[in-house]
Amino acid sequence: MPLLETVDVKVRFGGNVALDDVSISVEPASITGLIGPNGAGKTTLFNAITGLQSLSGGRVMLNGRDVTKLPPHKRARQGLARTFQRLELFTSLSVRDNVRVAGEIRNRWGLGGGRMDTNAEADRIIDLVGLRDVADREVGEIPTGQARVVELARALMIKPTLLLLDEPASGQTEDETEAFGHLLGRLAAEDGLGICLVEHDMALVMNVCETIHVLEFGRMIASGTADEVRNDPAVIDAYLGAPESVG
Amino acid sequence: MQTFLQYTILGLVVGGVYFIAASGLVVTYTTSGIFNFAQGAIAMLAAFTYWQVRWGWGWPAPLALLLVLGVLAPLLGAVLYQVIMKNLRGTSEVTKIIVPVGVMLGFLSLATWIWNPTPRTPRLFYKFFGANATVKIFDVRLTWHEIIAFFLAIVIAGGIAFLFRRTRSGVAMRAVVDDPDLLQLNGGRPERLATLSWAGGAFLAALAGILITPIQGTAMSANALTLLVIDAFAAAMFGRLKSLPRTFVGAIVLGLATNYVIAYFPANKWTWTGAFRSSIPMILLFVVLLVLPQDRLRGATVLRTRERFRMPSLRTAWIAGLVLVVVVWALRTIMATTAINTLAYGITLSIIALSLVLLTGYAGEINLAALSFGAIGTIIVFHYGISGTGNDARMTLWGILLAAVVCAVVGALVALPALRLRGLYLALATMAFGVFVSRMVLTEIGERELFGIKFSIFQGGSLTIPRPEIGPFDFKSNDSFLMLATVVFALMAVGLVSLRHSNYGRRLAAMKDSPAACATLGMSVVRLKLSVFMMSAAIAGVGGVLMSAQLGSVNLDRFDIFLSLVILLLTVVGGIGYASGALFSGVLFGCSILAIQNTLTKLGSDYKSLEAVFGFLVSAVSVMPATIGVTMGKNPSGAITDIVESLEGIKKSKPLMLTMIGLQVLIWALAWQGVINNWHFVIFTAANLLIVPPLGGAVLKNMALKKAGVEPPVPPELIGIDRPFTDDDRLAIEHALGLDAVPLPVSAPVHHQEEAAHAPA
Amino acid sequence: MTIIEPSGNGHEAPRPDGPHAPPPEHTLDEPPLLQLKGIRAAYGPIEVLHGVDLVVPEGSVVALLGPNGAGKSTILKVCSGLLQPSAGEVHLAGRIVNGASADQLARLGVCTIPEGRGIFPNLTVRENLWMATMAGVPLDHVEEVAYARFPRLGERRKQLAGTMSGGEQQMLAMSRALAVNPALLLLDELSMGLAPLVVANLYEIVAQVSEEGVSILVSEQFARTVLGIAQYAAIVLHGNVTREGTPEELEDELSAAYLGS
Repeated sequence: MPLLETVDVKVRFGGNVALDDVSISVEPASITGLIGPNGAGKTTLFNAITGLQSLSGGRVMLNGRDVTKLPPHKRARQGLARTFQRLELFTSLSVRDNVRVAGEIRNRWGLGGGRMDTNAEADRIIDLVGLRDVADREVGEIPTGQARVVELARALMIKPTLLLLDEPASGQTEDETEAFGHLLGRLAAEDGLGICLVEHDMALVMNVCETIHVLEFGRMIASGTADEVRNDPAVIDAYLGAPESVG
Repeated sequence: MQTFLQYTILGLVVGGVYFIAASGLVVTYTTSGIFNFAQGAIAMLAAFTYWQVRWGWGWPAPLALLLVLGVLAPLLGAVLYQVIMKNLRGTSEVTKIIVPVGVMLGFLSLATWIWNPTPRTPRLFYKFFGANATVKIFDVRLTWHEIIAFFLAIVIAGGIAFLFRRTRSGVAMRAVVDDPDLLQLNGGRPERLATLSWAGGAFLAALAGILITPIQGTAMSANALTLLVIDAFAAAMFGRLKSLPRTFVGAIVLGLATNYVIAYFPANKWTWTGAFRSSIPMILLFVVLLVLPQDRLRGATVLRTRERFRMPSLRTAWIAGLVLVVVVWALRTIMATTAINTLAYGITLSIIALSLVLLTGYAGEINLAALSFGAIGTIIVFHYGISGTGNDARMTLWGILLAAVVCAVVGALVALPALRLRGLYLALATMAFGVFVSRMVLTEIGERELFGIKFSIFQGGSLTIPRPEIGPFDFKSNDSFLMLATVVFALMAVGLVSLRHSNYGRRLAAMKDSPAACATLGMSVVRLKLSVFMMSAAIAGVGGVLMSAQLGSVNLDRFDIFLSLVILLLTVVGGIGYASGALFSGVLFGCSILAIQNTLTKLGSDYKSLEAVFGFLVSAVSVMPATIGVTMGKNPSGAITDIVESLEGIKKSKPLMLTMIGLQVLIWALAWQGVINNWHFVIFTAANLLIVPPLGGAVLKNMALKKAGVEPPVPPELIGIDRPFTDDDRLAIEHALGLDAVPLPVSAPVHHQEEAAHAPA
Repeated sequence: MTIIEPSGNGHEAPRPDGPHAPPPEHTLDEPPLLQLKGIRAAYGPIEVLHGVDLVVPEGSVVALLGPNGAGKSTILKVCSGLLQPSAGEVHLAGRIVNGASADQLARLGVCTIPEGRGIFPNLTVRENLWMATMAGVPLDHVEEVAYARFPRLGERRKQLAGTMSGGEQQMLAMSRALAVNPALLLLDELSMGLAPLVVANLYEIVAQVSEEGVSILVSEQFARTVLGIAQYAAIVLHGNVTREGTPEELEDELSAAYLGS
């Protein structure tokens, strides 16, 4: 059973159709890429999955359970975590506290038992993602590339089974991106996380993703492995524009 | 039928005036994103100015109208936007609410300053063409004034529709709402449009004020007139601050409802009619908030807010608390009884302000009626928390705790409808609650019987509240009560700081920074908001109880909504993120303003020739809180931040710190021994705090530089005197004057640049 | 009148400063219409442009290419005056215009169609066109140009712009560019979210505007679409212009820039 399944998800803003019958799925212990030109609806899809955006049609299934009607915090408690393209860090807290507070929020889920030692867990995750050097800085002071890693660390604190990453590599240096790719691979392989990745750094996407979905104008135009997608004429057209469309 | 018709028509008239005021709110809110809390105060100012010109100076009505509506009001609106509101771009929602509130308070004190509240002959504000110019419509006798008011409302509704559909500026105002950047790319000037809309909004407020004052028919009071137009908030909310047709409907419903209450529940049979009638707008506002659909969760405002607060460590908080207690103890020994009482009053107010630090500073939500929770607490203590009678009466600890619990529950009821909504709506809900308490609860002075139980909520209009006795400690004396209030404040302040460092505090900070991120981490934002609001209400309740105990007996004026607003304003000015901001607020409001005014009055009586000057200064001081409040747009993090930053310098230099402490102990010892009087104590203390640090800092720096073998820098005004000009100086001066940074005079008229552009390169 | 008089345009639209300004003096070493020198720009603490140099010669079409998030839109925001650069200079017709606001530049003849439909969704078509007159062109003229080029807009003049299809909205945005007779046209992701046929249609109009002598700077993800009409192109990656040249020179490298082959 896939961790996440969207079934014919539709989102409208006024008269514009932002998502039109989009169906994707994410399996455990795998990395799925979601690519497409600007305005294709990738972030909108993430918002629809996490519940920040209500649907005009279709369903969102987590672990086989229909969560379409659930508010965002209840979906998160099903093991769903995400990062944001426009950083949503807690600016009044330090890097360490940004990570720690996520664990403290998790401790309040009311699951009974299962409470974590947030200090120890935060330290473990900060080491895991490589933020130890900046752990005591204010989040407003660190560069974007690292800020994105803080968002990832924060998401990991709630021990998700499914992770949605929205352009995690933008603002990162090439070295950072490479390390980031390795980290994602480890999270999927060792911890069995299902990861869905929206990213414009194609090198990263092509390297780490087993499956890639391509969105264009709110519709899915292709799915497959990196090689399949790279050679798909529809995808090339989507990115470069159809050759016959000029004059 | 006759009654129905009569009150329907009157309801339409009043509703029409509500619409005029509410439409002004909608216009300014849509174009500038700022909810103009000062709308009522502008209406009030206009009414007073019109009265002055029309009857004070005897101008003919058309001329007076032209001056007030055609010139002064629009000018006031435009100036307000250009000078104050424009700076609010990029500030948090809290600041966007506080600054207009500050303007409102400023206008209020201005009006009471200019139009001294107790004239020998009451100010009479007549209807247009007088009260006897009437016509009969459907057997109902109406004054021309009422007819004019109603038709003006319709004309204005039509006029605004015309403006928004048929004029380019009006269409551009709607375009600003859609996309201000795009309008700029089209060549439009959003700033100019916002100024225009504020001018229009002020005009509408002024018109509403002039129309409604004689319809209400009461004596002219600045506070009452301001609140009158605040009733229009409910109508504006009906249209969700966007839709004018819905606002119109809301205003008419409001007008009709208030009049039907008078019609069908005549005051001679129903004692609560008057209070209920005046509460209807607030009840309606509350109901509207209940049915508004949920907002989308707000994302982070990382790049947009300029406010920054650095949390002190728990250790610093304990030290600061201890220092406070010691300082108050030391002051107590040299102060007169009246001064002790004033200081105790200020500190109890600081406790109320602490509730705002928790709610607004930590959690980013707003309560505009902190004192109303104090009123609830006081009522509870009065009924259930006093043991003994007469001189032996004491407030019990259980009474205080019960008051806290009840306030928390009431707080939950107030906050519940607005928790799903943005901060502005919660602020409005608390304001509705505050006005409701003042109009409906604190006016319950007589005895009522319900289900066989006799009770009176606010007995006799004034409650006598004794000082508390807790365990073996009796706080009857002024000295001991001052120390109790100080210790309670210090403990609560330290408690708040430790709360902020706890996981609860971190979750509050997270919610304040990004509700959307919190929700996606699994936090129930609504529950956390509710819990913090309840806690804050409980603190405000306890603070209110202590305030009442300090005063001994309290009437409804002590819990006025405007006082709540002043406390909030001063706390924000002090620094809403810090417990010390609360102390700043309470002490400034409770003591310093009074102290400064007393000093000036005393100086005035000492130097008769300058009495007028000092009298002016006394009034000027009363406008002070509002004046510093409106500067918030420029310095949104508050005064404490600045003070703390200046203290950093002192902390780094041990000799300086020790010198200052030594001097201060010396000054206190002299005062204690009666060598110097208290005036000198104040002056020397001020000198120690204000003059020594920069002086000492400069001396120490020079010493350090000399040691390192570097010449101390020459201050800029002495360059050329102490040493000759260098090229670097000239560059620095040119840079300071901006001479090197203006390659193209873009602010110059357009054609100049273009001519320049055509010149050969 | 405008900074540089667009040549060969049939419409002599009046400008705010009146019709009596002297004709432009063309000299041999005339500066480029738009030139960016060492532009750095940041959103808050995050720097997104790290020293961009770019030239738009008069009367030419320059395409900014590159993947999403590379900084193309930010470059256009700096050119249009919506974002003030933190360092560097923006030259318009040889003059530094750092510090000029977007509306000042608009009235100087810079016309910008921003990313994601340059329209006001809650205004009618006619009201949208009315807003275009703020740059100093009368409404009659704007309407005439718009409805003549896009008869469909004429049929829908009273409809709310937000309720029209994406293509129609983009037509509405483009008719502003046609009507206000600009010296410099800035286009940001014209094709975003539109069907290829509509995109082709829009670029025909862009080509036509260019033939009238208007200089155009266009950012576009659909590289091939725009390379057909561009004289020069610049590839933007990670906040820097990494490659510049003619479309022919660049075409081979595009695939690598986008899909990271």
